[in-house]
Amino acid sequence: MLDNKDFSAWLSRLSDSHDIYGPKKTRKGMLEWARLEGGQLPDPEPGVPKSSIKTFYFPQPETLFEFSARPKKEDAFRLHEPSRHQNPRLLIGVRPCDARSVVLNSMPYQEDPYFQENRRNTFLLGYACSQGCSTCFCTWTGGSPVGQDGLDILAFLLEDGLVLEPVTERGEELLEKAGSARDLTRAQEQKVDEIRQKAPASLPEEMEPAPRLREKELMALYDAPFWQELSDSCINCGTCTFLCPTCYCFDIQDETLRGRGRRIRYWDSCMFPLFTLHASGHNPRGEKIKRVRNRFMHKLKYFPDRFGPLSCVGCGRCVRDCPVNIDIRQVMKELLAI
Amino acid sequence: MNDKAKNQKDWEPKIIAFLCNWCSYAGADLAGVSRYQYPPSLRIVRVPCSGRVSANMILDALRSGADGVLVSGCHPGDCHYISGNYYARRRFAVLKNFLEFIGIEPGRVNFSWISASEGEQFAEVAKEVTSRVKKLGPARHLVKEF
Amino acid sequence: MPTKNESITQELRQKARHLLESGQVAAFLGYTSGSVPMVMKPFVARKPEDAERLEWNSFCVLNLANYLPPLLRSFEPPRRPNDPPPEGPLPKVGVAATGCWSRNMVVQVQENQMERERVVIIGISSRGMVDRKKVLNAVNHAEITSVKEEDNSLLVKGPGLEEEINRWDVIRDNCQTCVHPDPVIFDEMIGQLQGDRDIQDRFRQVEEIENLSAQDRWQWFTSEIDSCIRCYACRNACPLCYCPTCFVDDSRPQWVGKSREPVDTAIFHILRAYHCAGRCTDCGSCESACPMGIRMRILTKKLQKDVLDLYGTEAGMSIQQPLPLSTYKMDDPQDFVLTESFKGEKK
Repeated sequence: MLDNKDFSAWLSRLSDSHDIYGPKKTRKGMLEWARLEGGQLPDPEPGVPKSSIKTFYFPQPETLFEFSARPKKEDAFRLHEPSRHQNPRLLIGVRPCDARSVVLNSMPYQEDPYFQENRRNTFLLGYACSQGCSTCFCTWTGGSPVGQDGLDILAFLLEDGLVLEPVTERGEELLEKAGSARDLTRAQEQKVDEIRQKAPASLPEEMEPAPRLREKELMALYDAPFWQELSDSCINCGTCTFLCPTCYCFDIQDETLRGRGRRIRYWDSCMFPLFTLHASGHNPRGEKIKRVRNRFMHKLKYFPDRFGPLSCVGCGRCVRDCPVNIDIRQVMKELLAI
Repeated sequence: MNDKAKNQKDWEPKIIAFLCNWCSYAGADLAGVSRYQYPPSLRIVRVPCSGRVSANMILDALRSGADGVLVSGCHPGDCHYISGNYYARRRFAVLKNFLEFIGIEPGRVNFSWISASEGEQFAEVAKEVTSRVKKLGPARHLVKEF
Repeated sequence: MPTKNESITQELRQKARHLLESGQVAAFLGYTSGSVPMVMKPFVARKPEDAERLEWNSFCVLNLANYLPPLLRSFEPPRRPNDPPPEGPLPKVGVAATGCWSRNMVVQVQENQMERERVVIIGISSRGMVDRKKVLNAVNHAEITSVKEEDNSLLVKGPGLEEEINRWDVIRDNCQTCVHPDPVIFDEMIGQLQGDRDIQDRFRQVEEIENLSAQDRWQWFTSEIDSCIRCYACRNACPLCYCPTCFVDDSRPQWVGKSREPVDTAIFHILRAYHCAGRCTDCGSCESACPMGIRMRILTKKLQKDVLDLYGTEAGMSIQQPLPLSTYKMDDPQDFVLTESFKGEKK
């Protein structure tokens, strides 16, 4: 147990060696990731920040290498590594759903050096959710509001401070530097237990869609009639994919400018027609309905078939911010009903 | 452009000039043939008509590091394609206001009408645009860096 | 007593059902409610019984004109780019339309994106749509689980929250300053036309920014767009954006970088807005769709103001009147042209 003052002092000490980020309210009133300096604490708002933590693992954009594009120079077109971020990063106030997304994204990115390097370099201090939001459904996707997956430290927020539990070894090492932890009082212990029990109960009842969806016949889901109605409303923007913590598709491009060049990797979205456009002009997912279907089939069928769990952590960002109210929870129900 | 160059007193701006083939480009040619002196800051891009110049091209010039842009076409009524510059005039009027609205300094993006016989006029415009851009200093706002 | 919007809903369902039953239209484009309060789902009714799902309220913020051309195309027999157009009358589509939406339909007809004869427009004079972000601000971003709408108020509920909000206070900026709430083209009307509204300060938001210094305007612009995630919701929600290849997707030349970098984001927003010059009806779809709360509508509003000042026209007021930037007059203002200002000096 650390009171807020000690917590802040610990962060302040850590900020010498770590870059610290946490959710803060912006001037427009939304919660968003921000750099915390000098022992600043994140805003203790319920729910997830607008953007997911994938920006820290999968930066928008990531420079893969740089080169000189002046043909007459000695080092012309020789590739070199860009100077990468050196300080370890500590993210504070990560919700368990977001933390779990890192574990899920690591499956396809197992051998991706950039993602894995960022993962090694980023420490996650999670805040357990004491209350689910109306758009939350982590309990449907195999997560929990007090889950530890992907976290280094899990914290339970109390009125006067927070209870920190190490999850990983490196989390424990970080915590050792926190120093003056106090023993929990009886009341505080009770409060933590209460959060552990009540938080999952505030969310939709658990269901295990992944195994059931894995059993379903792929083509039956693919040909389901409800895709048409879904696609009728969709405007094919990238809001859902770009806010989603588990959407990890990218495109690569070389940029040259005033004699310098670089290769960048940046977010792409299966909602955009360009995503699948072939050089021949043919587009296998040229129609909107195919793109809409692909996004959900990827998350709910192809990914589970390949890796086991759904590629969804139930953070509810897509539900909350879709301009036309396309709701993945309903898509899940429709698919399960087939 | 690197900072060192920006600080140099003898900084010469880079200005991209989109000149229409039939009037302004010929005007620039005449200025040269007639040996009118004007600053060497203009990089000329010959276009078929001022109506061909889109906002995309103007912004691309700024993005690539141009300190200023000049678009020049035939005088209204003289367009080789009858009305290209009339359409362009409406588009540029709106674009110029709009760029200033979002904070691009007045004088960064300029428009003129120069005919094939106006060599002297061309030199005048080149001088004027260069001095305006010089006063503003190197462009910063829309220059892509990495 | 049903509220005004409830009555409109009833009448809309009736009319849509009739159109679908009688075979006059192959589909009816409207709105239905979804799973999240204050976000409506654009909805295509294809069977008469679907009409019962149509709904009308103050949260129908996305412009339905945006869906029309692709929906109409979906009812055409498939053909390759160089095939001749299909013969005979093609199926029609019914659609609900407020003032601005109908004006966008006019623009689409003018720009050959659709044919007037192929749409049956049910006009609704708009009372303004609610800005979800304003409601969220009004309750300090507390969680909202239900909103009940009365004619002049919203009853907002959530965990530990129950608040009545004056409807007009949370109406979208574009609707508050809307001059033409009546549909300009329609086949049938629901309710009465209300006539043009007399708005004194319709460009106030724009003027406030015009009055800043160049440096402050740049500051305003960059801080407004710095949260942009380049999801293109603003572009895709816009009925004016229908290019087969958007300039952001061009690669040779590449006008704009594709990632989240300040200059590229700025150029995207400048060009997106500028492409709407003289065509935008200030429907507010872009701003309503933006997940990050960017007020990019002020950009298009500025263009609307200048086009009105310079050329005296507004987009989509009549099919006969050409769009301001696809026409010209011999004596259009040109004091912005350098050589013209030289002339002035010589005089």
